[in-house]
Amino acid sequence: MWEYFEDLNVGDVFPTVTKEPITRVQLVKFAGASGDFNPLHTVEEVGEKAGTGVIAHGMLIMGMAAQGVTSWIPRKYVNSLQIRFRKMTKPGEQIHVTGKVIEKKENNCIVCEVKAMNDEGEIKVSGTFEAALPSKIMTESGGNR
Amino acid sequence: MSAVKELAGLKLEPYSFSVEKGKIRELAAAIGDPNPIYYDEEAAKKEGYEGIPIPITFLQVIDLWGGFNFEKKCKMLNLNPVMVLHGEQGYSFFKPIYANDTLTVSGEVVDVQVKKGSTGGMNLITLEFEYRNQHNELVAKSRNVTIERH
Repeated sequence: MWEYFEDLNVGDVFPTVTKEPITRVQLVKFAGASGDFNPLHTVEEVGEKAGTGVIAHGMLIMGMAAQGVTSWIPRKYVNSLQIRFRKMTKPGEQIHVTGKVIEKKENNCIVCEVKAMNDEGEIKVSGTFEAALPSKIMTESGGNR
Repeated sequence: MSAVKELAGLKLEPYSFSVEKGKIRELAAAIGDPNPIYYDEEAAKKEGYEGIPIPITFLQVIDLWGGFNFEKKCKMLNLNPVMVLHGEQGYSFFKPIYANDTLTVSGEVVDVQVKKGSTGGMNLITLEFEYRNQHNELVAKSRNVTIERH
């Protein structure tokens, strides 16, 4: 976990978070937890009709990306997460979450990229997050910058 | 085609929902996120939180359980449920949100695009939401793009 602005530099890569393979039971649990009962995620016949088979909730994959983010940077410092859903994910697929620092801005703000992909490297969701971290450097007025 | 364009500017009826620690735990468990701050108030306090904080994607729970579930959303936006995809999602936070807070949400359709393509066209419907806590402080915003294939 990174706690200070100075400890991160542009280009730094965060450790990959690897999830357990997605199960159908997990999709049922996620449906109940989130309230997204679109049957495409839980009912085989609906998946067949749609031509895709049962697919995971996009928000489950975003949640996994968010898990990665808050395993690198404490939740309280994360100010935003914006992602785009790129590919469908099926039960049995295993998600790996990667991230890296792409910009350091004023007010101790970092901008980072985050991606969630399967074993083959197919990107399921990708986007950016921003976090404002405490500084180690004390300003002249005595407060943290 | 033209009817969907008329959705732009549509304001959703506001809704309120409390942030329940059981729902935080349930969402974190479904995602498989083991971070103790989502399960245990003591662990959260030890890490500098005033209570159990919400996971980044938790506002979906407020929206779907407290406001517009998938079916209601499809009806309101006149979407064909089997043609709907989630295109983009973003969350911005301005103040911490903890278990036992109550959030009031106002949402609006901010943009509608109709795209034509070689593999069939699509409608892109962008909604933005504002979340206020029980002290009427703006604590978060979200933005999502819903895709409806033609």
